[in-house]
Amino acid sequence: MLRLRWVQALIVLAVWIVTATALKGVQTQELSTATDSPFTAVMRDLAASIRGNRTESFLFVYVFNPIRTAISGFIELFMGVIAVPADGNLIPLLGWFGTLALIGFVVYATSTLRMALFSMMMMLLCGMLGMWLLTMETLAMTIGAVFLSLVIALPLGVWAGLNDRVMKVLRPWLDLAQVLPTLVYLAPLALVFLIGIASATIATMIYAIPICIRITALAIKGLKQGPIEAAESAGSTRWQVLTKVQLPMAKSTIILAVNQTTLAALSFVVIAALIGAPGLGKPVIEALTIRNVGDGVVAGLAVVLLAVMLDRATSAAVNRDQSGYAAADAAKVRRRIGLAIFGVLTLVAIYLSRYLLVFAVFPEQLNFGEYVADAANAVSDWITDNLGFLTVTGSEQFTIWILNPLQGVLADSPWWLTLIAITLLAFILAGRTVGILVFVLLALVMATGLWNDTMLTLAMTLIATGFVVIIGIVLGVWAGRSARVDRILRPFLDAGQTMPAFVYLVPVLALFGPTRFAAIVLGVVYAAPVVIRIVADGIRKVPKESIEAAVSAGSTTMQVITKVQLPVSRRSILLGVNQGLIFVLAVVVIGGFVGAGGLGYLVIVGQSKPELAGKGLAAGIAIVLLGIILDRIAQGRPQKSPQGHH
Amino acid sequence: MKRVGKGAGLMVALATAGLALAACGGGTVNEAASSSAAPAESSAAPADSSAAPAPADCGSWGVAMHGWVGYTASAQVLSDVAREKLGCDITQTQLDEAGVTYDAMEAGSVDVIIEDWGGGRWQEWVDRGAIVEVGLNGNVGLIGMYVPQWMCDEYPGITDGTKLNEYADLFVTPESGDKGAWLEGPPGYTTIGEKLIEANGLNFKIINTGSEAALIEAFTKGNDNKEAVLGYFYEPQNFLAKVPLCRINFPANDWTDAAKASGLTDYPETPLVKLATVKLMDSGSPFATLVQNFEWTNEDQNQVALDIENGMTPEEAAQKWIDANPDKVAAWLEGTGAS
Repeated sequence: MLRLRWVQALIVLAVWIVTATALKGVQTQELSTATDSPFTAVMRDLAASIRGNRTESFLFVYVFNPIRTAISGFIELFMGVIAVPADGNLIPLLGWFGTLALIGFVVYATSTLRMALFSMMMMLLCGMLGMWLLTMETLAMTIGAVFLSLVIALPLGVWAGLNDRVMKVLRPWLDLAQVLPTLVYLAPLALVFLIGIASATIATMIYAIPICIRITALAIKGLKQGPIEAAESAGSTRWQVLTKVQLPMAKSTIILAVNQTTLAALSFVVIAALIGAPGLGKPVIEALTIRNVGDGVVAGLAVVLLAVMLDRATSAAVNRDQSGYAAADAAKVRRRIGLAIFGVLTLVAIYLSRYLLVFAVFPEQLNFGEYVADAANAVSDWITDNLGFLTVTGSEQFTIWILNPLQGVLADSPWWLTLIAITLLAFILAGRTVGILVFVLLALVMATGLWNDTMLTLAMTLIATGFVVIIGIVLGVWAGRSARVDRILRPFLDAGQTMPAFVYLVPVLALFGPTRFAAIVLGVVYAAPVVIRIVADGIRKVPKESIEAAVSAGSTTMQVITKVQLPVSRRSILLGVNQGLIFVLAVVVIGGFVGAGGLGYLVIVGQSKPELAGKGLAAGIAIVLLGIILDRIAQGRPQKSPQGHH
Repeated sequence: MKRVGKGAGLMVALATAGLALAACGGGTVNEAASSSAAPAESSAAPADSSAAPAPADCGSWGVAMHGWVGYTASAQVLSDVAREKLGCDITQTQLDEAGVTYDAMEAGSVDVIIEDWGGGRWQEWVDRGAIVEVGLNGNVGLIGMYVPQWMCDEYPGITDGTKLNEYADLFVTPESGDKGAWLEGPPGYTTIGEKLIEANGLNFKIINTGSEAALIEAFTKGNDNKEAVLGYFYEPQNFLAKVPLCRINFPANDWTDAAKASGLTDYPETPLVKLATVKLMDSGSPFATLVQNFEWTNEDQNQVALDIENGMTPEEAAQKWIDANPDKVAAWLEGTGAS
């Protein structure tokens, strides 16, 4: 059955390629950037009318503008405490020393002394990179955004966990939010809420809330029924059961939701700088404009340090709760004394930070950021000078022999040919429902008028995903089989997932020039860690008995991998392909910044030029459609039977 | 639950103590900073009292910063003069050109654009009463398509833009397929490359390199390695003093607003315009007068820009120029009451 499908797919591909080559350049729907299609013209007028209405329309004056003011004000409260001096002042409410101590105390109170010291050290390093105030701005924004997200998401998540119908209603929106590349909803938000803290916070919330809802709902749903039934039969009301039994039981998973929400919010910080978010994102974007690798690396490092600190601290809070910490009385007393002492020291630090300059403004003598930047620039220059020839030639050859031909089949051929071919492939690979869905979505893409640009972006996405899948499977299998490899890879995977893509965009640009290949490389670097992790996880879950059976039956390592581990972890691999696709799409869009063209470029240029705003918005819609198409096809056929493999 | 209660109680106690501490704020760093500034001002006043009266209170204003180094030069000099001579509180905010900044001005987060190339694209915002033109800043801009000097020496005919097809195959790269590569300006900049190509039937494909730095790199390589590069560039830009480029010419310009360009004519010589919010210009603040008076030449801007490119921070480069040109600065300050 499997073989027949692949044969069918290959036939479709072959016919497609032959016809595309024969009909090259015919009806490609190519549209120059400055020209509008009917749909984009409608969007452009919509954007212009929104701009015109911002001060007058009822909706704006009574709904959007107040929301903007409220959110800005709320975040600025946090900023005023640790990051931004009020008008005329030199420092915010707490100087750096006081803030450092306060962070330490909060972490100590929620986990352990060791974690507190670790967190303080991470923050100190941020300061030593010369990034103290910017880090504090980002931290303040993250805290504020997380708080607002939790206020909305936790109740919704609990409700969805208790009530299946609510979950059913929410689910398609949660799915959509996960597929949506972040760059896409920036422009509409900026249009309605103007660039600045408010838009950035709302964008972060849109990104983080679905994650929180999902985890919380899962937590509530997964609770053991025993205690709940006991409480109910003892006569507790629904509310009492919720607050006295269910919520406490789900507490550690809810803290996990806080952890994931915080990381999601933080990972958004650089992109949010595109719509005026303050903090570490700004120097990263600026470094991109002036092509200064060093400055970008310094800011990027600060982001990573902050991310690691928040991740470890919030995870430690989860662990402490989960371990049920029924410590001995002596330990409890020790801890209470420790907290009290630390608390007093914190108060002293806060006092000092308000009255002594050296404790208020991060001292210049401790600032080593310049050296780090210079070192990064030196490394980047060396690589460009010595390996540049290789990388540029390599990228050019690859573009000539692989990327351009693929783009030729997808984009330089008649649109109806490509549409039919993709639909047929969807039918074959993923079944009838998906096939119909794909057809409808492709027709919608056609309706936006941006068919050609979509195909350009699709070509880059497919190639990048191909690379990512290969790398992901090879390294994932290796890391899954060998704990040592896993340990070595882990810090790189961590860095790859927390470091904003914009930071390594600059060296990638320097190496490969402003080309589509650079966008592909960016996509691979961004998506590979995720896929490696998922595949490694899947490999590790393969039951040891199956492996031992194969080994004792005389299989070689290769046979064990291909005949046992890969097939059994098939679902993980499929998930990896799916996630790889989504991540790649998100980043290939960023490649629009640097010469990759396609939909990403339209989104970006739409933000800068009012006459192209329609194309930008339409491009965002096209990206979403493309994301859904790829996501559905990559999920494969819907599982008919829910049973496991063995 | 009890444990959480204790932890929460501790944090509340700490927070209260912290707030109490913050509230009793005698002698904080903030106050020390403002009090150390005050004596300096009062000791300077007697010396000035024989001259014009002290400047009116300036207030807080926002200056938009854009991506190119020439703009940074102008804006930094303006901001530093305002801070030093007028005591203004100036915030410099990095923003994209045009629409994004005009929106920010309408929203009140930014007040001045010191150099706009846009030929009237701000009309919508003027009509809504948010922005007003404040005259020219003295710089004259000229955008164009350029090639490295060696190409003009070897192919003299190349300077005629309408005849570019004869040389198209020189510019072919893998990114442009079988057409010549036309490196276009960054997203926010005024660009009519597509219109030029379509209207003149040129066999070129637009490549969006995404940043001015990418264009500079491409031209540098083209100059050093004798490679063919056709790219967007502009004056005033000190890069042109470092790497000689020669301009491709199209028929004489007949438009100011790029959205209305036909593509048959060249970019215009653009006297660069200052834009400000109505709020600033109506405020009576000395900063408004400074913005009104600000003007300097392309050479002035290039000097400061060159210093920035050679490694000085914008603040240092601006200070150097301010110290070296007291007469020009004095002319700007006429009518503000400062000197």
